[in-house]
Amino acid sequence: MRIRCKASAGTMQSSDLMVVVEPAETLRVDIDSTVKKQYEHLIRAQIAATLEQLQVSAGHIQISDRGALDYAIAARVETAIRRAAKE
Amino acid sequence: MSQPEPDRPQGPAGTAPFDRPELGEARALIESCGLRFEPGFDDLVRLYDQGRLVACGARAGYVLKMLAIAPSHQGSDTLGELVTGLIQSGRQAGHDTLFVFTLPQNAASFEALNFRLLAAHGDAALLEFGPGLPAYLAAHAGLITPGRNGAVVINGNPFTLGHLHLVEVAAQRVDRLFLFVVREDRSVFPFEARFRLAREATAHLGNVTVLDTSRYAVSAGTFPSYFLKRLDALAEAQMQIDLRLFALRIAPPFHVAARFAGQEPLCPTTAAYNRMMAEVLPEHGIRMVEVPRCEAGGLPISATRVRAAFAAGDYGALGDLVPPATLAYLGSPAAAKIRTHLKET
Repeated sequence: MRIRCKASAGTMQSSDLMVVVEPAETLRVDIDSTVKKQYEHLIRAQIAATLEQLQVSAGHIQISDRGALDYAIAARVETAIRRAAKE
Repeated sequence: MSQPEPDRPQGPAGTAPFDRPELGEARALIESCGLRFEPGFDDLVRLYDQGRLVACGARAGYVLKMLAIAPSHQGSDTLGELVTGLIQSGRQAGHDTLFVFTLPQNAASFEALNFRLLAAHGDAALLEFGPGLPAYLAAHAGLITPGRNGAVVINGNPFTLGHLHLVEVAAQRVDRLFLFVVREDRSVFPFEARFRLAREATAHLGNVTVLDTSRYAVSAGTFPSYFLKRLDALAEAQMQIDLRLFALRIAPPFHVAARFAGQEPLCPTTAAYNRMMAEVLPEHGIRMVEVPRCEAGGLPISATRVRAAFAAGDYGALGDLVPPATLAYLGSPAAAKIRTHLKET
């Protein structure tokens, strides 16, 4: 899937996350999280798995996380990407 | 609770119809939280619970203000919901990074929403949400050279021989001089012109790098009173925040050991800013150097004087006040429109 435009998904409520994706030539994932110290590697792994599943190889993905669980991360990232791909 | 309801008054900021009942309701909530209701915002986000307004917050450009939550809803995640609405509103208006001024005791609540503390002093704390400062620093990383560097921050409205003198004196005394041009477009001349003129006028100085301040010096986010030329307790608090932000977040990555400013004989706001600079910066190990103003015809050269001569069409006088690049610009068709506007106001 290709990121064609800027799009976002999610909220800043507790246990949720906000995802913003925009077109870029390479793949870059920036993470802000209230639990960054403890869980950044797990958040990153979950995002990487979702991107792979959706076959996204380029784009700027910005995450602002408030302690979301894996399935929430996957759902928000997928929604933002589908919006950005104009599906 | 119902979804945030963005309210989009038509027309420019400040012309929202305040007589509408829901705005009166918001005003009452804001004032009941001990905040001052200030007209002049682009959007007002409101949250309702069973038909009752329980939280609201305004956005003026990239600055969030007047965030108020009813006592019955404090401690829950109402702030998260309110901020979500404000972030969405900001993003729709093209602002990825948002600033908020708050009380220091509220800073932690915003940090729990991934806001980043930029500076705090006394009764005020400034935080930002979004790519913000790390993205700004990353974008300029390639311009940074090691050594004992200096900084000059100017609005350059427009660039004068006084600015040039300051930059030349400063550049001789440091390894590299960063000339920061205020990004904020609240001045007579647009940023793009102010920036280009600063670059052209200093092109002969090999160790001067011209860059924009983004929102991180003398902006609506750090020091809005500067543009109002107001001098009161609020302006002082803003100066403190502006200077601490510079000392703690901007100077270290740019290896800035000294900040230079022109002596200010005329404008009380700038004179007070210089005094505070001399007080605050050394606390953080940064020297503040005041350079005497250069004069033309026995009077200090200032951008105010240049604007007056420009408005009066006195191009003869302008030649003694501005470098060739600025003089050429002031005679251009782009500047003619600005002159008409300047004469009207």
